[in-house]
Amino acid sequence: HTHLDDEAQKELRDFHEALDLWTTFQTRTHSLALSLASQLRLILTPSQATKLSGAYKTGKRLRIRSIISYIASDFKRDKIWMRRAIPTKRTYQIMVCVDDSMSMLNNGAGALALESLVMMTRSLTMLEAGQIGVLGFGEKTFVAHSLGDPGFSSHDAGARVLQQFTFKQEQTNMCELLRTTISHFSEARLRNSASSGSEDLWQLALILSDGMVGKSERETLRPLLREALEQRIMCVFIMMDNAKGSGSSVLDLKEVEFVKGRDGESTVKLVKYLDSFPFPYFLVVHDLEDLPGALAGLLRSWFSEVTR
Amino acid sequence: MDGHSTTEPNAQVKVIFDTPEADLQLPESKRTLLVPSDIRRYGLSRILNSESMLETGAIPFDFLIDGSFLRTSLDDYLKANGLPHETTLHLQYVRSLIPPTYEASF
Ligand SMILES: [Mg+2]
Repeated sequence: HTHLDDEAQKELRDFHEALDLWTTFQTRTHSLALSLASQLRLILTPSQATKLSGAYKTGKRLRIRSIISYIASDFKRDKIWMRRAIPTKRTYQIMVCVDDSMSMLNNGAGALALESLVMMTRSLTMLEAGQIGVLGFGEKTFVAHSLGDPGFSSHDAGARVLQQFTFKQEQTNMCELLRTTISHFSEARLRNSASSGSEDLWQLALILSDGMVGKSERETLRPLLREALEQRIMCVFIMMDNAKGSGSSVLDLKEVEFVKGRDGESTVKLVKYLDSFPFPYFLVVHDLEDLPGALAGLLRSWFSEVTR
Repeated sequence: MDGHSTTEPNAQVKVIFDTPEADLQLPESKRTLLVPSDIRRYGLSRILNSESMLETGAIPFDFLIDGSFLRTSLDDYLKANGLPHETTLHLQYVRSLIPPTYEASF
């Protein structure tokens, strides 16, 4: 009966409650959403081509290699300048993945994640950055808003997404999330290339979670993260942690290992949790106010690395 | 192992330690830990006594969860109470009144 269980109506938050929540969050985070949008605009829109190239009579920078022939030709071969080529138009598909597991109820991580979700989707909608999807994950990954759906300009669309997050899933299956994200993105890439051809498509997964991933899963995640990278999917892990200074922050969290010594005796070893965290790009957010700047900073450095 | 456990190997539980004993307080940054979920009272005592925690050597501790003494593994406690591994357990530790030699019987 498992498939029946799966289809059994997922418990939803009341629509009016979700609508209130969306409206409250949207109002409260409006200025943050604007700030994120203006920072992302600079990063996501290539204002210039990445490289100077060509040989022109006028241009931006001298092409040193041409100088000798310029002089040798009695200043006749004067195409000694390089210009920036016209920037390629980039399009984006952005998947916001929200942790729907029970652990999100600790330290108010769930509330912070939903508020961040509203802020980010509003910001990306304002930017018209491209398609936005929302996935929920826990024991099972589900589509809360598919990439093809219209954006988040109406409160109703937002409320229907919020309705689906109740933080009742009893496991956090991050590997399944990664697999689902990769397969959604590869389908979306096909659909995109069929419709718009040669545009430069970038796919971004933004994961909002408390960061609690099982030990064995952290290992299984590594090959999946490599696969995502090979598929040119960028995964940013945004850790919701508003427990800074209370002792239960993920920054302080340690895990216990019993290490067997050569004499067969085991000793207690404490290891920093974040040291074995498998996502190479992650942020720890204590306060929603930090998010726009931190996210923009991370994306900026990532883009400058990949487009160099 | 205990045979009926279906828990994955390496499963962990997040615990928060607390104590009423004034001389055995932990600094806040050491109160929350991820521990193997098959751990029992003895393993938890060893953690608290370790150099990274209280540095107390070998004090036997007892642990109270929700007002009652932990007599099983954390896994079994969760199972018996229908709690998922996503739960954070609050463990209150106290000096054990049971002499340490009694350890072998559970
Ligand atoms: Mg979780």
